[in-house]
Amino acid sequence: MKGIIIAVPNKGRLKEPACRLLGGAGIKRIDDERAYLSNTTAEAVQILSVRAADIPVYVYHGIADMGITGRDIISETALEVYELADLGFGACDLVVAVSADSSYRKPSDLPSGSKLATEFPNVAKRYFNDLGVQVEVITLRGAVEIAPVLGLAEAIVDLSSTGKTLEKNGLKTIGTIMTSSARLICNRISYKTNYARIKALVEALRRGC
Amino acid sequence: MHCASGAESCKGGIQFTRFQTPEGFRDLAPDDVAKYLFVEGEFRKIFGLWGYREVRTSSIDYFDIIRGGAGEGFTDSLFKVQDYDGKMLSLRGEVTTQIARMLTSKARDEGRLFYISNCIRYLETRTLLQREFWQAGAELIGGRTVAADAEAIALAIAALQSLGIGDVYVDIGNVALFQLAADSLGIGDNCAIRRAVASKSIDDLRKLTESDRIKEALSYMMMKRGGPEIVREFSEVTGVGKEYPEYFDGLFALLDAYGCRGRVTIDLSTLREMKYYNGTVFDIYSGGLGVPIGGGGRYDCMMREFGLEAKATGFAVSVDLCVRLIEKGMGKGFGGGAKEVPARIMYRDGFQGEAVLMARRFRAEGKACTVEEFDESKEGFVVGPDGIMAWAGSGEDRKVEGRR
Repeated sequence: MKGIIIAVPNKGRLKEPACRLLGGAGIKRIDDERAYLSNTTAEAVQILSVRAADIPVYVYHGIADMGITGRDIISETALEVYELADLGFGACDLVVAVSADSSYRKPSDLPSGSKLATEFPNVAKRYFNDLGVQVEVITLRGAVEIAPVLGLAEAIVDLSSTGKTLEKNGLKTIGTIMTSSARLICNRISYKTNYARIKALVEALRRGC
Repeated sequence: MHCASGAESCKGGIQFTRFQTPEGFRDLAPDDVAKYLFVEGEFRKIFGLWGYREVRTSSIDYFDIIRGGAGEGFTDSLFKVQDYDGKMLSLRGEVTTQIARMLTSKARDEGRLFYISNCIRYLETRTLLQREFWQAGAELIGGRTVAADAEAIALAIAALQSLGIGDVYVDIGNVALFQLAADSLGIGDNCAIRRAVASKSIDDLRKLTESDRIKEALSYMMMKRGGPEIVREFSEVTGVGKEYPEYFDGLFALLDAYGCRGRVTIDLSTLREMKYYNGTVFDIYSGGLGVPIGGGGRYDCMMREFGLEAKATGFAVSVDLCVRLIEKGMGKGFGGGAKEVPARIMYRDGFQGEAVLMARRFRAEGKACTVEEFDESKEGFVVGPDGIMAWAGSGEDRKVEGRR
């Protein structure tokens, strides 16, 4: 049987629910916790543990046949992969936020040339391009919500699930770019060459959602 | 150099070493070229056997002509330069549009053409392709639609099989049938729905529409894989494209005759980037690689753009990806021609003329050779006062054979 490699986040908010979902379908890691590539309790299925942000890259290149990662991350990488299931967990919005005392009420109110801090530069650029608003995107690797307070940027594009973190940092949401959740993605060629097995796996994982 | 920001990096302008090529471009060393020549040679043989004649299109073209054929979205990715009279030119980014133009002018009587050519586009290099990439393609003009479509698909498979890549498959879709269904379902140019279909995201589709009819029809399109029965069922589900089952029956019967059974699958969500496609389109792939090796399809509409009422179909495959597949051991190797070492004829002082005479004899017999000054560390033939002798390089027993 041709083996299947599933890429799963090795940390972060998607890691635990992803492992639970796979475990429910009889796919549990059996090798050492530190191993990047582990055999599993399922025959000819291996788990590749890598960063959620890199999972579309591994799947696009066919290193992993399938993967679990956020819709936000898939959009950011803009790599062509199949999204075979919305797994439901990890739900959050990718929003545009500004200081709570700001007069801007929607993203198109931002003046051209505004500075915008984000971990999602590609999504942010595409979104504001479509709006016809030219923004200067500053890419950060985390703690984006403090950028407006510190004067680094007028606005941010960041994930928000409850809105509490934004509120705590004196920010308000003025627009939602997309609603994200965990997706089961698949390499386009693996899907074709290993159709029967992948279809069965998708059905098993859907039952567990 | 003045630099307002005073940044350190401004001192020397753009920073690069003299060993670098611009991102996405590279030099091919002799060993690389040998691999490319092998792949291109096999393609030339196959295309020739199928009656196709080679063309070379111009490296630079009028931007507006390419835009007319290939569409706005594609032309964003072209390298552009300006002619001395202000006209916008673009570097060759794909070949099909140029061939359509050629057919209306220089090659009016031709029916089967092929090319092996480099193309240059602003591609993101992380998608496996360099910004300069090599592709081989064939274009078939005229003929009955079903026969020509089958020939194009079968030739694409045959070309890759000639490299010993056994694991070759083709997915077939039809953009006209997709458009008929989209129009009948009233989803026209809905980008979000098209994106959901292209990425096979059933769950996104469910959120995008309330209509059960759209959900049923598009889910069918996205998830089913198989033979002509897929199209028959799709046509029954949607009530559109009644004439397509017969077309696909005919196509598959011919592909069977070409020996392509088991290699071709209908997946109606197969759509392609270029706007010029208007009928059957296909993706070519191999299990050894995560991305398609090539693709093609029917483009009668573009022929009309050039004022020619002609049917046309064709395909292109990536030579770079074929080389990569063979390097990964997926083919029959590079045919041994990858490293042909010429004989070395070395001369001692005063015997250069004799060495040249010997080289002329070698070459007249079709043997490759070089003429060099004697170097005792190298192997070759030595021409000197002792006559000609075979030399095994430095070490024991150097003198192998002497000849006056």
